[in-house]
Amino acid sequence: MTAAAIAANAYTAAARKYGAGAAPGLAPPGGELKPDQSFGNLLAQAMDGVSQTGKAADAATASATTGRTDMIDVVTAVAESETAMQTLISVRDRVISAYEEIMRMTI
Amino acid sequence: MDLLRSIGIAASGLKAESGRMRVISENLANADSTAKTVGGDPYRRKIVTFDSQLDPDLDARTVSLGRIQRDSTAFKLEYDPGNPIADAKGYVKMPNVNPLVEQMDMREAQHAYEANLNVISAARRMISRTLDILKG
Repeated sequence: MTAAAIAANAYTAAARKYGAGAAPGLAPPGGELKPDQSFGNLLAQAMDGVSQTGKAADAATASATTGRTDMIDVVTAVAESETAMQTLISVRDRVISAYEEIMRMTI
Repeated sequence: MDLLRSIGIAASGLKAESGRMRVISENLANADSTAKTVGGDPYRRKIVTFDSQLDPDLDARTVSLGRIQRDSTAFKLEYDPGNPIADAKGYVKMPNVNPLVEQMDMREAQHAYEANLNVISAARRMISRTLDILKG
């Protein structure tokens, strides 16, 4: 499950970039964008959740190899972290494709 | 998320059924375990009970293995005068385990386990099908 941790770090970095880019004059027409509602923060929170479930899955797998946990716990923990990961990946892909579409726009 | 919670609930079912399987295997393995001394009791069949309780993490009622009870039916008597633990009339007390009943219990545990597995795979499929909307 180290792959999950690497991906999580990459996403946190991406989230930080998003947060920095949104800060200078990119206020939405509806009013000021509150810092805790920015997309960067949202992504960072989602990342946190994913890495938490990843850690839980890691711990379950590790203790299963030493014979301390039920195999059922491992399966459910891994399934849960996989679902969280897939959700985040789908959202990220969607956001990136939207961003690319904007970048392709001819001005 | 409700779907993830149902996976957790089904997992508790899997654990309970595997515990039941353990008790059944104990009964089957000890179907011929007699007493060690003359006049002693042989292996007494164990019966599983299931408890339903509120899981605070899942906020749902999950199942767990309750107290393991003992079957109070009478022991079978087998005529075996050559056995060192036979009584004065030549009878040996045998465990009150009926292998046929255990086989049926095992089949039941197997089906219940599979039903819980089906819940897990159905919930997973529902989640990933929902995510497919974003990918499309």
